[in-house]
Amino acid sequence: MTTDRITGTKTSASTGLRAVVRIEGLRKSFGSLEVLKGVDLEVDRGEVVVILGPSGSGKSTLLRCVNLLEKPTAGTIYFEDSCITDSKVNINHIREKVGMVFQSFNLFPHLSARANVALAPRKVLKRSHEEADRIAIEQLEKVGLGDRVEYLPAQLSGGQQQRVAIARALAMDPHVMLFDEATSALDPELVRGVLDVMRSLAEAGMTMIVVTHEMGFAREVADRVIFMDDGIIVEQGSPTEVFDAPQHERTKDFLGHIS
Amino acid sequence: MTTRPTAKDLRHMLAWVVGLVCVLALLATPAQGLTTDRTTAAPNQDGGRNVIGGEPTRITWVGTVEEGEEVTGITLLFPAGCELSDDSYVKVQEMDMSDPQHPLHNERSATIDLTAARLIVELDEPIPAGNLLYVEIYKFCLPPVSGQVIITGTYTDASGASHDLTPSPPIDTIALTSTQRLINDLSEQEWVKAWNSVKFLNIFVNPLWIVASIPSLFFGWLRSLGLVLLGFPLAIPVGLGISFLRMSRFRLLRFVSSIYVNIIRGTPLFLQIYIAFFGLPLLGIKPNDYLLGVLVLAMNSSAYLAEIFRAGIQSIHKGQFEAASSLGMNGVQTMFFVIIPQTVRRVIPTMTSEFILLFKDTSLLAAVGVMEQMMFAKTLVNTAGNMTPYVIAACYYLIVTLPLTRIISVFEKRLAASEGREAPPGDKDKMTKRVGLFKTIAPLSATDSEPLDATTPERHSSA
Repeated sequence: MTTDRITGTKTSASTGLRAVVRIEGLRKSFGSLEVLKGVDLEVDRGEVVVILGPSGSGKSTLLRCVNLLEKPTAGTIYFEDSCITDSKVNINHIREKVGMVFQSFNLFPHLSARANVALAPRKVLKRSHEEADRIAIEQLEKVGLGDRVEYLPAQLSGGQQQRVAIARALAMDPHVMLFDEATSALDPELVRGVLDVMRSLAEAGMTMIVVTHEMGFAREVADRVIFMDDGIIVEQGSPTEVFDAPQHERTKDFLGHIS
Repeated sequence: MTTRPTAKDLRHMLAWVVGLVCVLALLATPAQGLTTDRTTAAPNQDGGRNVIGGEPTRITWVGTVEEGEEVTGITLLFPAGCELSDDSYVKVQEMDMSDPQHPLHNERSATIDLTAARLIVELDEPIPAGNLLYVEIYKFCLPPVSGQVIITGTYTDASGASHDLTPSPPIDTIALTSTQRLINDLSEQEWVKAWNSVKFLNIFVNPLWIVASIPSLFFGWLRSLGLVLLGFPLAIPVGLGISFLRMSRFRLLRFVSSIYVNIIRGTPLFLQIYIAFFGLPLLGIKPNDYLLGVLVLAMNSSAYLAEIFRAGIQSIHKGQFEAASSLGMNGVQTMFFVIIPQTVRRVIPTMTSEFILLFKDTSLLAAVGVMEQMMFAKTLVNTAGNMTPYVIAACYYLIVTLPLTRIISVFEKRLAASEGREAPPGDKDKMTKRVGLFKTIAPLSATDSEPLDATTPERHSSA
């Protein structure tokens, strides 16, 4: 592992500026259960990568390894110039630049929408109160919640809550956004609003790694679709390649079940 | 630099002058044959220790017959305003000091002439030197004002000559209090007499003792409240610190803090009080009783609060920690800005019940003599021979505990609403209504921490 890290650091410098996230030989076990069995993945700047796969295939775990919410058992992950699996790296600095949106929103229930968004800019980026509030209101307006800034999470619908969560992540001005089944907990009629926000983010050039079950979104927005099963990447390619001409049985199986 | 005399200087000066006058007075007074030893009046305040003027009390005058003297009579002069009651009487006794180890009390027959202004006692037999003369005046009323009463007089020696007595030390009196007046009025009432003729009512809810207890126990109540109001706020930061240790990633800290919590929660507070109050003096540490009481209460409560806080913090959904981490917040920031604010709201009801428990437990300090409500009530009961002061003490405890119990349920409702467990109108099907927060500490899922209405992704995959 040590040698990996050393060689990895060298190569990361040589890959140039395009790769924002690079994952090499990633393994993750929970006890005796191996969830990720060696994953290699590179995500370029401005790229939208959608990860598909049946539940339990390890796609959420892969995403959560990118900002070290899960600690990899083996393998290396680079974020821009830093090897984040190196224990010397201050992970909090990396996380400032990696936004994450959760399936269950995870808004801070005691804070208004504005305060939810403004908290991290104030405490982590040390912005002034006014500056943080200005950022918060701007981001909330971007996600279409300019009229809800003083609402508590409990007073908002699920779709609105998830859009606040997106605004909260964006307020940190991240270099990459991770979406972990962002619409799975929402009522069907609320999904569209969240997907619209994600789509416009992609159009604005945000680097995104998206775990979702929204095939329509994947087909329309993704630059690359990755199909995972049983802890490995089974197949990847452009949406057309994966959806219209899947190469592997497992991919065909999965897509067949979905549609 | 010139300084003006301060009040302290003046007091000093006054003390010197008074002292000097006393010394001169002593030098000037011829040797006394009968020395006034003490003059007291028995407290006649229900539920207090004061002597109320205008109310019957017992005056005790004691003097020593000096060497080479014999006393055959004594006259005591009372200041203006004193009064006799219907059944005033006088008792004269001699304390025989011939064997100082075993003094003997002898009733002495005498001719007695008592008026409101003076008492003349002519002893049938003289009292010999070395013995003490006791004069007790029962049911005698001192002037009905607040002030000092000094009793003067003369004595007659064996030769029949009359000499002045040294004036008695002053007896402090207070004017009749409104409480006492009320008690006196009540005791005359027919309904009170009828009420008190029922044994149960007399013993537990005697109107006279209700009136006497209320003002007297008020101060005990304040002291009990003081104990808990000092102890509890002290217990909060300590408890929070311990709860952090309990969740520490270092095994040793977890171990030590869990020993603290388990020992304190596993032993009676009563025992802890005994150990602190009787153990520390043996170590040569003698802190103020009240302060030590506060510390023991705080120590005890901190262990309970630590567990309340720990459970509260652990009831916060993992997603909250993850969301804070994903924004780059460090552990301390996460704790202070995300976790603790949510925990506080969740633990306030449980903390309030802990406050109630601690307030009631201040009564245990009576066992080691800390003056608080229970101790005040006990003292009163001892003088009254009546349970009513305990009943009033109970009412005083309830004044605090009942409203707090009510407040707890208000807190609970408000918390439920703020966390979205009360559905706002028009959004009912979206918010799962959850009740029973009081078990808050048990993992409780707030709307933010769990999919409210998880729909299968397949159902709208084409959205």
